[in-house]
Amino acid sequence: MYKLIPLPVILPLVAAFLIAIVGKRFKRLAKILSVLVFLSTAVLSYWYMVAGNQETMLYKIGGWEPINDIPIGVYMLLDPFSGFMLCIINTIALLSTVYSVNYITKFTGVNYFYTLLSIMVAGLNGVVLAGDLFNLYVFLEITVISSYALVAFGTDKEELEASLKYQVLGGIATSLILFSIGMIYWYTKTLNMMDITRVLHASGDVKLIQFCQLMLIAGFGLKAAIMPFHGWLPDAHSSAPSPISAMLSGVVIKAAGLYVIFRLFFNMFELNFEISVLITAIGTLSMVVGVFLAIGQWDLKRLLAYHSISQMGYVIIGVGMGMIILSRQGSLAAASLAITGGLFHLVNHAVFKGLLFLNAGAIEYRLGTRDLKKMGGLAEKMPLTAATSLGASMAISGIPPFNGFFSKLIIIIAAIQARFYILAALAVLVSIITLASFMKFQRYAFFNGKISASRVNISEVPPFMAFSMTIMALLCLALSLLLIPDLREHVLQPAVDILTGRNAYFINLLNK
Amino acid sequence: MEDNLTSITLGHALLFTVIIPAIAGLVLFALPKKSNRIKDILTIAITVLSCFAAFKLYASVQQAVLVGYCSIILQPFKAWFQIPAECAQYLTLNVDAMARLIILLVAGFSLLISIYATGYHHAEKKPKHFHSLLLLTLAASSAAIFADNLMVLIVFWGFLGFTLYAMLSPDDEQSSAAAKKTLILIGASDGLMILGIAIIGKIAGTFSMALLDLSTTNALTVIAFLCLAIGAFTKAGAFPFHTWIPDYTQTATAPASAYLPAALDKLLGIYFLTRICHDVFQISGGIRLTILCLGALTIIIAVMMALIQHNYKRLLGYHAVSQVGYMITGIGLGSVLGIAGGLFHMINNAVYKSGLFLAAGCVKSATGKDDLEELGGLSKAMPVTFICSLIFALSISGVPPLNGFASKWMIYQGIIDLGKGTGPENHLWMVWLAMAVIGSALTLASFVKFISGIFLGRQKPALGTIQEVNPLMWAPMLLLALICIGFGTFATNWVIPSMLEPITGNIHYSGLWNSSLITLLIGISLLLGILFYVIATSGKLRVAESFIGGETNRDETGFEPVSFYETIRNSLLFKPFYAWAEKKYFDVYELSKKLVLDVSDLFSKAHTGILSNLAFWVLAGLIFMFLFLLL
Repeated sequence: MYKLIPLPVILPLVAAFLIAIVGKRFKRLAKILSVLVFLSTAVLSYWYMVAGNQETMLYKIGGWEPINDIPIGVYMLLDPFSGFMLCIINTIALLSTVYSVNYITKFTGVNYFYTLLSIMVAGLNGVVLAGDLFNLYVFLEITVISSYALVAFGTDKEELEASLKYQVLGGIATSLILFSIGMIYWYTKTLNMMDITRVLHASGDVKLIQFCQLMLIAGFGLKAAIMPFHGWLPDAHSSAPSPISAMLSGVVIKAAGLYVIFRLFFNMFELNFEISVLITAIGTLSMVVGVFLAIGQWDLKRLLAYHSISQMGYVIIGVGMGMIILSRQGSLAAASLAITGGLFHLVNHAVFKGLLFLNAGAIEYRLGTRDLKKMGGLAEKMPLTAATSLGASMAISGIPPFNGFFSKLIIIIAAIQARFYILAALAVLVSIITLASFMKFQRYAFFNGKISASRVNISEVPPFMAFSMTIMALLCLALSLLLIPDLREHVLQPAVDILTGRNAYFINLLNK
Repeated sequence: MEDNLTSITLGHALLFTVIIPAIAGLVLFALPKKSNRIKDILTIAITVLSCFAAFKLYASVQQAVLVGYCSIILQPFKAWFQIPAECAQYLTLNVDAMARLIILLVAGFSLLISIYATGYHHAEKKPKHFHSLLLLTLAASSAAIFADNLMVLIVFWGFLGFTLYAMLSPDDEQSSAAAKKTLILIGASDGLMILGIAIIGKIAGTFSMALLDLSTTNALTVIAFLCLAIGAFTKAGAFPFHTWIPDYTQTATAPASAYLPAALDKLLGIYFLTRICHDVFQISGGIRLTILCLGALTIIIAVMMALIQHNYKRLLGYHAVSQVGYMITGIGLGSVLGIAGGLFHMINNAVYKSGLFLAAGCVKSATGKDDLEELGGLSKAMPVTFICSLIFALSISGVPPLNGFASKWMIYQGIIDLGKGTGPENHLWMVWLAMAVIGSALTLASFVKFISGIFLGRQKPALGTIQEVNPLMWAPMLLLALICIGFGTFATNWVIPSMLEPITGNIHYSGLWNSSLITLLIGISLLLGILFYVIATSGKLRVAESFIGGETNRDETGFEPVSFYETIRNSLLFKPFYAWAEKKYFDVYELSKKLVLDVSDLFSKAHTGILSNLAFWVLAGLIFMFLFLLL
């Protein structure tokens, strides 16, 4: 396994260049190659999760060993938390790619699409595997630049506008991130995350580092689209081609935003009470305001996009409560429960939001509209889309036995256990409004009268799209099983333990 | 040996009411549409089995078995499958006398409705996947009742909201709006229940209902109780969370209405209310007062709304709400008599209300009409439906000797007993009694409209020839009607001692009441009346024209029961209230919807999508965070 660590980055990059160079000569190369590559990266990440005891591995590129315990090479870090993220990224990427096989036929420039998608996945895998801040930054840029291009893929007026906004705001975030990485480098004289941890731990609490932390929250918060840094998301996620929306909402905001925040603030920095409260507060703000914005939308993909903001709020309050508890030296069990809830919701959201965007894509593919008011009566004509989207809607609204119910349940219980009563009540309120807005989606898209005369001939989507949606709908049910103790200890708990291990985990890692 | 026998029975009950229906439900879901006949037979077979197993469980043990373990079902597979120790607390079962009775009722209604649906499916469009939804509902309801752990209960309870939504099977504008409203209200109450359960877990450290005994003295416990009570109220359909029921019954097909809002949701809601009021919490006087108030309001408000309805399914929906008021009042009384009365009324209501919806389904499938104005004079064409409806209607209105009377009588007695206490809720006993009795009278008034509007008067020519429905449809209805008579007649001699006293303990009535004797006396007086009529009319008879207010008798002249009730709507006292009700001013759903959308508009106004604004937010957020850390 050790030698295979760079593969999730290398394989998609190889695919990207191959498709770009020789894609024109071999007609089906792009589709087949990208599916195969994502399949193999997905299998690799499952293998890591399933085989053995998920030990933490540091891959030293070029075999540069540390001198006097000071790392000099570029490290890649594979531990249960990054393994968990790898599974999510590559699964959603695989299913989106399979879905695209049919979907992308309505665009030209198919090879560019697969090239950009492969680069994006390579970047995402790089972000979660990166062991030093600079590589993290580089992979982050790889991801977001390819997603700028993918958002603009339709090259209509709206799409270009969305992409422009995304680029400008992304640029602000990038400069904040790069600036604070520079500051950290200036202060600690190193870029390796474990080494930085060691230096920071020795030096104690410094105002400069807190300054950097805030800029990192703003920078990565913008990538994760938490309020008030969310301005780009509704446009970008609704304008992109649907499989890309599924990637952006399902994976990119998590891997490029939340993952990094969690990783840096739990493992690299010393946990700090004020910062924890701040993170939880902006999480709460996103959760509440996002859902109110969502329910008023009539553009289906925009509605889904605003819900991504709101659902990211759930993930953040789950993990943020854990942060607060840990920073107050509270009980480890309570913190671990809250973080479990947060991470569980993260994987659940990836699946059901991915599926919802694919459903929206299926409707757009057949009807050519995203306006809920122009839909109706689709339940008869597109039964599979209707059934899968019902499952996903139930999952996001927290109706048992779908996965979203259980993760929200854990978050609410954890909040009550830690005496965050208001937070628990808000989580319930947001869940109810989420349910209301997805009932709106169900009603206007699939029921509400008969289908209009001009659309009597529409039929269910082609097989590849149907396949992806079915698998995701089954996942919506199957992920509930992660609650079973045996499975939870295998999948969620190791990742949670990494976070609750705090910075001691990184310090010990280097001493090993 | 005895223990072993009981656990085998329990294991069988679990297998046949939960596991097999759940699996069969999933299998039927996958079967193609064409195999409807197979689905029908399979569904009936499984519900028969579950009925049988539930009955065996009900009859097997005399004393209350409190807690059993799910693991008994896995006994044969012990070698392959080991339940982890930390799961054990979630797998305890609560099989006391109440749970056993409710499970028997759930299984019984599932059987009746599945038989009815077999006949119904030819008449009108049936909900998609009706069979599999019915079986899944059976499984989830039984599991929710078996569960002792609140967490397990909420999982199955929440799933029932989903089956409720799916059974409505919306297609047109009205039904999709109703489906949306239903699931939003039910889902919201489930969310609140989760909050309540989490608070209980925090206070008590356990989720097991058998171990819980909380007194509602501090604010947190009261909040937890209210959250759970809202869950029970919404499921059963009590004011002010009842508004989904009329919409649902108006648009859903008859089997769905008769199965969920009329029978199972009442059983579950009242079951859970009883559990939380008497097992999980010790409720204080203030909460008792609140519950009684809501109960009384539910009775009156819903029945007043029922009076003015034109759509008979909607009318029945409002009655389904109104009757919940009696059960809640009974449970809220807290005395043995009150609880027994409430539970008995729950059973009786499930019987006659389900029957009424089945009758409505028969009328609908025979005529295809929804409005009372378009119907009339069906008594000759549909005699069985007519007689059954009449029995149900008399029963719901509390006419002795039928079952509705028996349970209402117990509740009245309970209310009178309440007057002996000293709290504020005790001093108001006259109010509760008056509300309950007036509610009952108004129920009778609106059922006069129902019966006469559909079955009496002159048949509208537009209806054409009407035929009685097929036996598969009327047989379950007839059975329910017989139960109505039987439960009423033998209330004190057999039904209450054998069904309710094991749950509540011995019941002392404040006066002499022997249901069979009363039935006998009523029977004799009816016979005498008929005898006199026959004797008096056997001689000479004179036929004369009816006096119709000086008008000439034309073809369209008729006694319109519906328009008669317009006088109530237009009376000075009620007119503004009805007007407000029609504008949905009393509807929690509409009110909160408006509030949420207003807030949504407010936020949307800030989202102009102008790039410089968005960039400004980022900087503002950053500055705010700096300030937060500095201050």
